[in-house]
Amino acid sequence: MQAAFTRGAPQQAAPMTTPFLVAHDIAKAFGGAQALKGVSLDIAPGEIHGLVGANGAGKSTFIRILAGLNHPDAGRIEIDGQSREIATPQRATELGMSFIHQELAFVPGMTVLQNIMLGVPKKSRFGLTDWRAIARDVAPIARRVGISAPLNASVKGLSTAEIWLINICRALVRKARLIVMDEPTASLAASEAERLFAIVRDLSASGVAVLYISHRLDEILNLCSRVSVFRDGRSVAELAGKELNRPALVEAIVGGAIRNPQRTVAARPRGNVVMEASKLTRAPKVRGVSLRLHAGEVLGIGGLVGAGRTELARLLFGADRPDSGEMRLAGRSYQPASPAAAVRAGLGLIPEERRAEALFLSKSIAFNLSIANLDKLVHGRYLPLMNRRARASMAGDMIRSLSIKARNASTPVGRLSGGNQQKVAIGRWLQRTPKVLILDEPTRGVDIGARGEIHRLIRQQADSGMAVLVISSEPDELPDLCDRVLVMAEGRIVRELTGQAVSRKAIVEASYVDPQALMEDHPA
Amino acid sequence: MSDVAISARRLSPGTKAVLGIFARYGTIIGLLAMIVTFSILSPQAFPTVNNFTNVLNQASLAMIIAGGLTLAVVVGELDLSIGFAASLHGILITGLVVHDKLPIPLAVVIVIALGAVIGLVNGFIVTKIKVNSVIATLGVGTILTGLAFAYSAGVPIVAGVPEAFLQLSLGRWLFGIPNNIIVMILVLGGLWLLVERTPLGQEIQAVGGNAVAARLAGVNVDRIKILGFVISGMCAALTGILLASRLGSGTASAADSYLLTAFAAVFLGSATLRDGEFHVLGTLVGALIIAFGFNGLNIFGAPTFSQYVLQGAILIIAVGMASLGRSLAER
Ligand SMILES: Nc1ncnc2c1ncn2[C@@H]1O[C@H](COP(=O)(O)OP(=O)(O)OP(=O)(O)O)[C@@H](O)[C@H]1O
Ligand SMILES: [Mg+2]
Repeated sequence: MQAAFTRGAPQQAAPMTTPFLVAHDIAKAFGGAQALKGVSLDIAPGEIHGLVGANGAGKSTFIRILAGLNHPDAGRIEIDGQSREIATPQRATELGMSFIHQELAFVPGMTVLQNIMLGVPKKSRFGLTDWRAIARDVAPIARRVGISAPLNASVKGLSTAEIWLINICRALVRKARLIVMDEPTASLAASEAERLFAIVRDLSASGVAVLYISHRLDEILNLCSRVSVFRDGRSVAELAGKELNRPALVEAIVGGAIRNPQRTVAARPRGNVVMEASKLTRAPKVRGVSLRLHAGEVLGIGGLVGAGRTELARLLFGADRPDSGEMRLAGRSYQPASPAAAVRAGLGLIPEERRAEALFLSKSIAFNLSIANLDKLVHGRYLPLMNRRARASMAGDMIRSLSIKARNASTPVGRLSGGNQQKVAIGRWLQRTPKVLILDEPTRGVDIGARGEIHRLIRQQADSGMAVLVISSEPDELPDLCDRVLVMAEGRIVRELTGQAVSRKAIVEASYVDPQALMEDHPA
Repeated sequence: MSDVAISARRLSPGTKAVLGIFARYGTIIGLLAMIVTFSILSPQAFPTVNNFTNVLNQASLAMIIAGGLTLAVVVGELDLSIGFAASLHGILITGLVVHDKLPIPLAVVIVIALGAVIGLVNGFIVTKIKVNSVIATLGVGTILTGLAFAYSAGVPIVAGVPEAFLQLSLGRWLFGIPNNIIVMILVLGGLWLLVERTPLGQEIQAVGGNAVAARLAGVNVDRIKILGFVISGMCAALTGILLASRLGSGTASAADSYLLTAFAAVFLGSATLRDGEFHVLGTLVGALIIAFGFNGLNIFGAPTFSQYVLQGAILIIAVGMASLGRSLAER
């Protein structure tokens, strides 16, 4: 099995054969907003082609056009040298393209096999679907991508990574010749991501092309032989070979050099303990977590996806009730009955799943920013009506300071690109300046420019006395940002890193600590 | 499906802009077109101040109950109990005034309070016991129908209804405007202000938009949902009272059919101005479309059955056009 995954330097791309796909000068406007002004790119059979660009550069829009979900206003698409019109998603499938969008497509109530066969024409006998024959056909493919769950098991309870494999498997069953992946590693743990890379290389070796979209440049450099860069709706660069390196990519993405925010975090004086948890437990995800959070510090929580970090945040925020353990806030006992109580007590949470848990997609940016700050946006105590002018100017300020790419504050958030949506979710709480701010994966899907900006804002809040708790699975994020890092594994805190000890390496190492062994070494 | 998709490929930006406008203003254009058509076809009977006042007066009761229902749907739930509740309220207020000889203001307050309690019960069952709102409110509505029959023993209360009670609905006030219209304007105006202009209204919209996100933003979701049901219940009570006053009697099932009219108005409204969102102003437009449609057909002496056909057809066509226009314009 493993031998099939070819590792090593990606093959140099010099498409000798006809490209599988050629997109030429594609343009697309939504209302008055010109999302694509003319992008071109071509993909050779079996090539791993990278696609990068800042938030709102038009990557997802381009993908949706390939997928037949949107229709271009201008431009030409060729497949195997023939000009094609992709009117519907079915047409895109027929043409040999398969898409793995960031919001993974699966039906929770069905089995693994049913999910794999979603939307795929199925074999039938006597008018009934012949699941047994289908299972025989699918089994080798499932083995190839490494689906360990039995085909007839329910997908409920499977991890994101496994759902992801199901999506890959679906693409292969459809005999896709190009698989498009939009930010595939955003919610995968490091080891799962490694596995994904192996699969991508294997696909490429067997002649399936991959269009790989990511904000993580390391992955792009590691995987791709050629990379197209979009900026403001245009394809501004195509890098390959020696030109393909990090500085060149960054420059093409932002259109100029970028100040690289080095780790400037010095041991700073920190304030009093604002929040304290002792032996907090909610089985099975959180087990006996104790921590102290000081005013003016940025405390990171590292660890693998599934280590119980999000669940811990939910306990602190009153979204779930602990089985046992205690919390204190500003010296007083703190038992939030609901998030509303937590907000009143001075907490804020930016949840992990922005679309499902943070945003009101059909509502305006101004609405989304103001919903946690309504008390500050009324005309006055005796006229409890919304002050619309104050709200608009607050939203305008936020849009400017987070450089949210939108026409104006009344644009519905659902129309923003993924990264810009995340900025809105963060802006909501920056506005409120709570005592304790918890951020769960704050820069997932955010481009490098905005990421620096978000980090700067977080630091600034901490400097003005806020206590900040940051959860992140991106190995580089916590060292950039935090004064102190706690690493969680299997629901427990397995290590505390302070000052100079906070490094990418130390965090990754601690993530793999076996908490069981730790317990035996140092019985609590 | 695919035909639509393929033809969409050839839509010019101009066509898309027109479709977009139709999606938002289609219902309003339809309403105006209907008024113009009827005015041309029947210039003496239709476009008169008298007729318009009449239509509004007639429609006010439906508008009030639909306004309440709007609050329930804005918070993301359905309230199917309103028609049955209004029937019960009608019998109850007549009984309180005729049999128990209560002063009318006191009786009104009692009945509206009961409406609030029914809303509270609906909201409690939905949020705390977590029963789907369709089931919960259908169940409560059925129980209310039973109570209405029990209270009236199946016999309408007709005799001895005091003139002052009739004047609630039949009377006129400022500049001779019918009371019904004044009450309707106050109720819908108040609801509009609440939903669109107060902080509480922002929370109400947030809960309907994404209840999970609202909760994590610190909104007390259950309380907001219960509030939606309470307002819906109180508006149903108001409609029940005014209907009893207008009919001069308390009859079981008298207000049942308001349920359908209210739903039609609310969904027509969701296709108005905003992309598929429920809102008070939209409900008002929806109710006007239904009211003028019925009135026009009445003037031309169309048979009763056709009025139902019309109401159903308008609803499907208007909401369908809006959503089709929207999806074509967005591709
Ligand atoms: N349905 C829509 N209506 C209006 N504008 C839209 C719509 N979809 C996308 N846009 C706009 O098009 C631009 C490009 O968005 P797109 O989602 O393609 O960006 P992206 O490169 O994928 O960004 P990200 O990295 O943040 O995901 C953005 O400015 C966005 O606001
Ligand atoms: Mg995107």
